[in-house]
Amino acid sequence: MVKNNRSLRIQKLLKQNELYLFLVIIVYSIFITSLNSSFLSLENLFDLSKSSAGMGIMAIGVFIVLLSGGIDISFTAIAISGQYIAANVLIASGVDNIFFAFFISCLVGVALGAINGLLISQFKIPTLITTLGTASVFHGALLTIVGTKAINSAQLPDCFKAFGAKDVLILTKPNGVNYGLSIFIIIFIVLAILTWLILKYTMLGRGIYAIGGDINAAERSGFNVAKIQFFIYCYVGFLAGIAGVLHISLIRYSNPTYLVGTELSVIAAVVLGGSRITGGSGTIIGTIMGVAMVTILNNSLILVGLSSYWHNFFVGLIIVISVSITSYQSKRSIGNIVFRR
Amino acid sequence: MLGKYSKHSKILTLFIIMISVFMVISIFLPGKFLTIRNFQSMFSQIPEFGLLAIAVMLAMLTGGIDLSIVATANLAGIVAALILTKYTFPQIGVYEELFTIILAIASALTVSLICGFLNGILVAYVGVPAILATLGTMGLFSGIAIIITKGYGIIGFPEKFLFIGSGIILLIPVPMIIFILCALVAVLILNKTTFGFSVYMLGSNPISARFSGINNESILVKTYMMSGLFAGLASIIMISRVNSIREGYGSVYLLQAILVCVLGGVDPSGGSGSIFGLIMGIITLQVLQSGFNILSFSPFFKKVIWGLILILVMVINFYSAKLSQKSIKRLKTN
Amino acid sequence: MVEKLEKLLVVKDISKSYVGVQALDRVNLSIDKGEIHCLVGENGSGKSTLIKIIAGVVKADEGEIIINGKKFESLHAIDSISEGIQVIYQDLSLFPNLSIAENISLNQMIERKKRFISWKEINDIAKREFSNINKKLDLDEKVENISIANRQLVAICRALTQDAKLIIMDEPTTAITKSEIDRLFSVILGLKKRGISTLFVSHKLSEILKISEKVTVIRDGKKVGVYSTEELDHDTLSFYMSGKKVVDSVFDYQEKERQKEPLLEVKNLSKKGNFQNINFKVRSGEIIGITGIMGSGRTELALSLFGLNRPDSGEIYIDGKLAKIKSPRDAIELGLSYLPEDRLNQGLFIKQSIGNNIIVTILQRLLNRFKLFDNNKKYEAAKEWMEELNVITPSLETVAQALSGGNQQRVVIAKWLATHPKVFILNGPTVGIDVASKSNIHNIVKGLANKGMGVIIISDEIPEIIRNCNRIIVIREGRIIKKVNTNEVTEDKLLDILAQNSN
Repeated sequence: MVKNNRSLRIQKLLKQNELYLFLVIIVYSIFITSLNSSFLSLENLFDLSKSSAGMGIMAIGVFIVLLSGGIDISFTAIAISGQYIAANVLIASGVDNIFFAFFISCLVGVALGAINGLLISQFKIPTLITTLGTASVFHGALLTIVGTKAINSAQLPDCFKAFGAKDVLILTKPNGVNYGLSIFIIIFIVLAILTWLILKYTMLGRGIYAIGGDINAAERSGFNVAKIQFFIYCYVGFLAGIAGVLHISLIRYSNPTYLVGTELSVIAAVVLGGSRITGGSGTIIGTIMGVAMVTILNNSLILVGLSSYWHNFFVGLIIVISVSITSYQSKRSIGNIVFRR
Repeated sequence: MLGKYSKHSKILTLFIIMISVFMVISIFLPGKFLTIRNFQSMFSQIPEFGLLAIAVMLAMLTGGIDLSIVATANLAGIVAALILTKYTFPQIGVYEELFTIILAIASALTVSLICGFLNGILVAYVGVPAILATLGTMGLFSGIAIIITKGYGIIGFPEKFLFIGSGIILLIPVPMIIFILCALVAVLILNKTTFGFSVYMLGSNPISARFSGINNESILVKTYMMSGLFAGLASIIMISRVNSIREGYGSVYLLQAILVCVLGGVDPSGGSGSIFGLIMGIITLQVLQSGFNILSFSPFFKKVIWGLILILVMVINFYSAKLSQKSIKRLKTN
Repeated sequence: MVEKLEKLLVVKDISKSYVGVQALDRVNLSIDKGEIHCLVGENGSGKSTLIKIIAGVVKADEGEIIINGKKFESLHAIDSISEGIQVIYQDLSLFPNLSIAENISLNQMIERKKRFISWKEINDIAKREFSNINKKLDLDEKVENISIANRQLVAICRALTQDAKLIIMDEPTTAITKSEIDRLFSVILGLKKRGISTLFVSHKLSEILKISEKVTVIRDGKKVGVYSTEELDHDTLSFYMSGKKVVDSVFDYQEKERQKEPLLEVKNLSKKGNFQNINFKVRSGEIIGITGIMGSGRTELALSLFGLNRPDSGEIYIDGKLAKIKSPRDAIELGLSYLPEDRLNQGLFIKQSIGNNIIVTILQRLLNRFKLFDNNKKYEAAKEWMEELNVITPSLETVAQALSGGNQQRVVIAKWLATHPKVFILNGPTVGIDVASKSNIHNIVKGLANKGMGVIIISDEIPEIIRNCNRIIVIREGRIIKKVNTNEVTEDKLLDILAQNSN
């Protein structure tokens, strides 16, 4: 029994993936800085956080889905739908207001997310197949119905540009050039905290953990499993809608074929952060660190002498290695359950 | 009785769907659908995604999935293309050219087997859920393909190699012959060998399979290697038909392959599905595809339709599973 | 009038039939406030159907249920819970990834339709319930990291948070050790002091006699009677349960001639944390019973013999030859078969046909010279064993899911007999199987032994072991503590041996 306790404690320590991840980020950052001293500058960090905020917001959505034991690969299609529809509506209506853009984009996002939620909660279709199908439908429908024409910088309503340039904190470099912390990062932090609050302090949030832990027990305890699943996918849609607006404001351009195809990086970030696809485990902090690691890695590819062609390779490698580590751990503990009872 | 009946009724339903799709398209597109040219073009498209569909089906039978098939096919195709373009020059003799072609094919198949092997190891020995394992290797394989080609296409293969993709023997396109042979081999393996039997048993209950003396790990690794191999075969037909390859080619096939599997009655949770059903699914999809082409639907609109069909099939499966559970209960209590 | 109020639960003339099978036939049960009541019966007697009806999960065909004086003609799960009835099923229905505190408090929060969580409240509730049962645990620990006995306490605490007036425990002692059982009993006595009744469902006589005040016995779906515990002893209770006078004919093992080598010999087999220094022999025609509580190492030992749990040291000899068993395949080829304890998850392929279920172990023998299946051989083999074991089914193509428990178990046995094993290990061969099928399976096993097979039955059901084995091995905490011939021992004596504390 004593021995058992000790091995449990060791296991507990090993599961603190976040600590390891944090150390890896630190070590890697130091390594990159030694190659290029500007890497760890505040300016570069501000830049990185701005460009990764959209990905981070989508990662929060994927995190919740994995927490409940599912997977979503349609969120990029939802994000681009929200973005492109919002931009078109703004142009057509002449309303040049960023809040209106957010409203439209999130509305689209929640509506599309609700379709996923409906299929998954009512028809019990495996989440992968559902979102594979809906991703195709959403993106295909966007290109068929709304159009395929890109919206260039000149056509883009000014509110996006203004929003993209908005800084909440402006600092001045010794040479007199200003740089700032984008409002994007504030939005990301607010959403991360909101999600954390939902997960930690609402019955709904605990229901998400419960479903991921044991869906039958959740049903027996009186959780409304269908409702919770429906919420999860609507929320992912909502987050994707916000990420869509951030993306257009960042690159000042909207092409309806963008974003789709980047879901792999987002999923990589989330699994790197320690979430398991079998559900029930993972943290927001871990997810944020996963996003940070993937962003730093992407940003540093060229610095370490590799071309951007290596991007996909590393994303794949990250997924394979991080899921291997978490799966191997849980496979061993499941093995114990089967043979030990 | 029940098992037999439900299996037969599934095949019958598929057959009816296939025939009615065929008739509807024939009636609504008179003089365009029922032409030799159209059939030839359908015949040349079926093999590529048919082979990929078999690859997905094999993984699905074990209760997993293989999302890396298209990436595997791309990587294998690129390796073959590199060999074909690097070693062929006009002055090369007939035998050398043949040797190059064989070397290219062998290399492509080897690469695809290695890709499958990696998937198999991850799923069987490391215990990674197949969705994430193959999603990760999808990125990995396509990543390697990009690194090799720097995103550029590789064009222009020897004349003799192109025969694989566009040749015709006795009025039948060569890819079709390859596909039929491969499908027959798959039928033989799944229905007539201990390996195939074990795949089905493992897919319906991996723990009982282990307790019955089946070596789950070995079966899984072999299955994913076979998946890889079929993807590799598809890649050879693919690059030879279009006489070029580039990373990302054929990415629409992933959705279509999964769609054809569920349409053809393969259970995504494992343990049931037949090549026969799959082929009916393939034909149905190809007839629809051909109809859409005649109607010149945009690729985007086709995406919508494929997605809708996938979801529709799953919804129908949900209701039919409910019905069959009811009939099992009735049988049990009698 | 006063007495009437004291009755917490009255079950009147409840009947339930699943088309063809009468699961319950006009059963009565009544439980007083604060009473510890045992519901006793052998496996398949209808106990679990009855508790499901009380929980409102299954609807009775006839009869009525009166809770706290309120009459229910059709009881729903929600009514049952709101009247204070809490069932703790064997699987406990806990969330492994959540903390102890949360597991305890969450159900109450759901019931109160809370939207937001106060962690202070969660911890307070958990602390209060845990202090009530005199037990200290780190409430922040995740449930997946604690022992089964502690999980049980968590489930009890969870039931208490929902104002339980009656806690029904379904076979709570199968997976926990002796000292843990004692602790569970003291918790139950503590509940009694607070006026909370317990319905304890079990088939283990010694526990029943120890904890209960009243005992309701059911057999084959009918109530045999209700007794106060003082008027019962082992023999009478076992008689009421089985309906048979003394233990019926013990399995008669005649050693035909002095055999040179035992079929199976295990020497000094050890695996850390599982079992230590296991030695025993199985001769041709013998049925060896291995008994011990769950977690004693009995299943781990069987898995080691079958190549699924590699031992650290020791040897296994088959026919006198040292056997290297690294996988089930090796074990099968050496002539071992293993019927696992969990029929649905480890034994059967419920979605596959009966035919496929039977031939899965003998695939190599069904090939033709091209190494491909010979369909005739496939069909003949499956048919032979289906008929041999009297599996009642419309066809070989029927899916295994559609069979009754007894028929399913016969299919699993058929699968193993098809391999012509020398030694057949059966782990809990009759768990959850109706009485008729049960004795049928026992007869099959005895017949096999009479034909010269060596058999090991692993079971914690003492009557099953006594009636079917010629030698018995008792395991506790991974060690053999007793080897005895069946004719030298009685059920009581065996139970005493099992119940002794290790020191």
